[in-house]
Amino acid sequence: MKKIIAFLILFTVLLSACNVAGNNTQTSPTTYDINDWDSVVAAAKGQTVNWYLWGGSESINNYVDSFYGKALKERYDITLNRVPVADTVDAVNQVLSEKQAGKDPGVVDLIWINGENFATLKQANLLLPAWADKLPNSRLVNWDNPAINRDFGTPVDFQESPWSSAQFQLIYDSARMQPEDLPRSYAELKDWVVENPGRFTYIAPGPGGFQGTRFAKGALYEFSGNVEQWGNFDQAIWDEYSPLLWDYFNDIKPYLWRQGETYPKDENELHSLFANQEVDFSITQAIVGAGALIEQGLVPETARAFVFDNYMIGDFNYVGIPLNAPSKAAALVLANLLLDPEFQAAQVLPENGFGLGFGIDINRVTDSAELTKLQEASQKLGDAATPPSDLAKALVGDTAAEYQSLVEEGWRQFVLLAQ
Amino acid sequence: MFKRMDFSSPWIKLAPAILVISLLFGASILFGLAQSFGLMTGTGQESISFEAYRNVFSGQGPAGREFWSSLGFSLWVATASTLLSAIGALTIAIWLSNRKGKSQQTDTLALNWNLAFPHLVWAIALLLFFSQSGLLARFAATLGLIQMPADFPILVKDRSGIGIILDYVTKEIPFLTLIVLAVLRSQAENLDIVAENLGASRWQRLWYITIPQVLPALMAGSLIVFGFVFSAYEVPAILGVRYPRMLPVLALDFFLNPDLNSRAEGMVISFVITLIVMIVAIISLRGEKEDTQE
Repeated sequence: MKKIIAFLILFTVLLSACNVAGNNTQTSPTTYDINDWDSVVAAAKGQTVNWYLWGGSESINNYVDSFYGKALKERYDITLNRVPVADTVDAVNQVLSEKQAGKDPGVVDLIWINGENFATLKQANLLLPAWADKLPNSRLVNWDNPAINRDFGTPVDFQESPWSSAQFQLIYDSARMQPEDLPRSYAELKDWVVENPGRFTYIAPGPGGFQGTRFAKGALYEFSGNVEQWGNFDQAIWDEYSPLLWDYFNDIKPYLWRQGETYPKDENELHSLFANQEVDFSITQAIVGAGALIEQGLVPETARAFVFDNYMIGDFNYVGIPLNAPSKAAALVLANLLLDPEFQAAQVLPENGFGLGFGIDINRVTDSAELTKLQEASQKLGDAATPPSDLAKALVGDTAAEYQSLVEEGWRQFVLLAQ
Repeated sequence: MFKRMDFSSPWIKLAPAILVISLLFGASILFGLAQSFGLMTGTGQESISFEAYRNVFSGQGPAGREFWSSLGFSLWVATASTLLSAIGALTIAIWLSNRKGKSQQTDTLALNWNLAFPHLVWAIALLLFFSQSGLLARFAATLGLIQMPADFPILVKDRSGIGIILDYVTKEIPFLTLIVLAVLRSQAENLDIVAENLGASRWQRLWYITIPQVLPALMAGSLIVFGFVFSAYEVPAILGVRYPRMLPVLALDFFLNPDLNSRAEGMVISFVITLIVMIVAIISLRGEKEDTQE
């Protein structure tokens, strides 16, 4: 009997421990009016904001702590609790599980999010609606740009606020290749691959490998020669051009690394193949090109970014607030801070370790001192970056959301599984 | 009604453990079952649907297209790993069982040493050694055995699952050897000596005495290995290819798919894994029962 009692006591302690662990964030229900920014700032005072973001890069973690963490504390008396996740889907699952368990307030205040994870939370109605356009710094965001008001084709509906921008680029090693020998289109890439068997591969398109999906979409753009038509879903267009895409990938398959028997599943795997000199190209999304990767020691110091002449998909990434966030006001203040010109200028500089592009439209910045700072920052992207003019020339937006899974499933069916 | 609670009953003693296990496992199994019927996947669906089961078993659609080949691949990897581990363990155990005294302790230590490594660490170590840009490939290239590291034979991340099997075999041989060795060291010797005195040859002794003695333990151990290999995630995730994938990798991929409707399919695949492991567990329990009845 003693044992049973002891067990019951232990069990209760365990249960309450779980409960404590789950509720350790303060849940001050201080009210605020989203249309009155002062009331938001007042409500946020003293709160702790739990920011869930991909923690795989030490330099990004440091940047977040030293820039935003410090400013939040000093200016707004908000404590930043950065919660690193291995994959954003972990934060999404946290919010989903809280919903299933009926837990409100939950533990997540803000998530660094975009694309498929945003679509998941939106599909499940788990995001705070209609707030992003209410932030004071939202006036600096070009909401008319379809690349901003649609995320992987899903309408944003002000349920997330932009942080930074990225654009698909390739990386080569300047110690191994000369800029004039680089392929500048998908057609040229095919020739290069055939001439250099085993020296190229790409990330398998699929969940977790969105860069591979993006690479495939760029090819669709080139084959059709028309970007606009992909902005809305049209089955006829898909039926017309998708066979060309599978043909392209199947044609280069015998000349790929490992003859296309397998593919790297994410960016890190491709970087390590590139660094090990197994393949000659890697990819990146960062505006500083290979700069941040060199800092992290993932690629050789001679690595440089480049783009094709056209069809290099660019997009924005965002922050979203779950509907059951415990400190919504603090999350709003942080989302607003991310758009502040001061921090927008800081985030593009390679030495700060973040290295993604502006989330705001710098033409909307009226303060001349701030504007100069932003312009200066964009001039200092480092040697490993793609020249900004090349980037701008090749920039195109993403396709409608429907194509995402069509490309991923079609690629598995017609390229990977095809013998 | 009983007059007095009998606290010496094993069920009472086991109650705490059973309670925790049935609460934690039972709840998650029910939860998973509900998700496989499309409930509680976050999509707001409130009625039971068999769509996910249909999608997975029909061989149509993204989940179905890969399911049957994944099932076949999982069975192949699990069977091959188990058989090779069992044969290897038997051979090594018989060889080691003749060693006496201090070397006996050394052997046990050496076998236990390997068990301390998690599969995750072991798999990454294999990757670092055997991949085409791995240590061995570089040594071979430096020594001039192959022209460049990429010529190294493909031993990990290969389509036939050699890398995965290699990981499991090297990890499970010591595990099974310890089990067999425990049996051999505790009882085999006397019978062996009797048989030798009666004129049995070395092979006869092995075949008629040693193997029947260790077989029940080896069988039980092998079924544990099979169940583990069949349902473990990390090794095939690290050492596998994009296609074919083992069932646990496939299940997690669908469970984490951004489309919430795919979660049901991921759960269906998880249930197939659970079912097969449970069948293996029942067979192994049956086998044990028969042994004790003999």
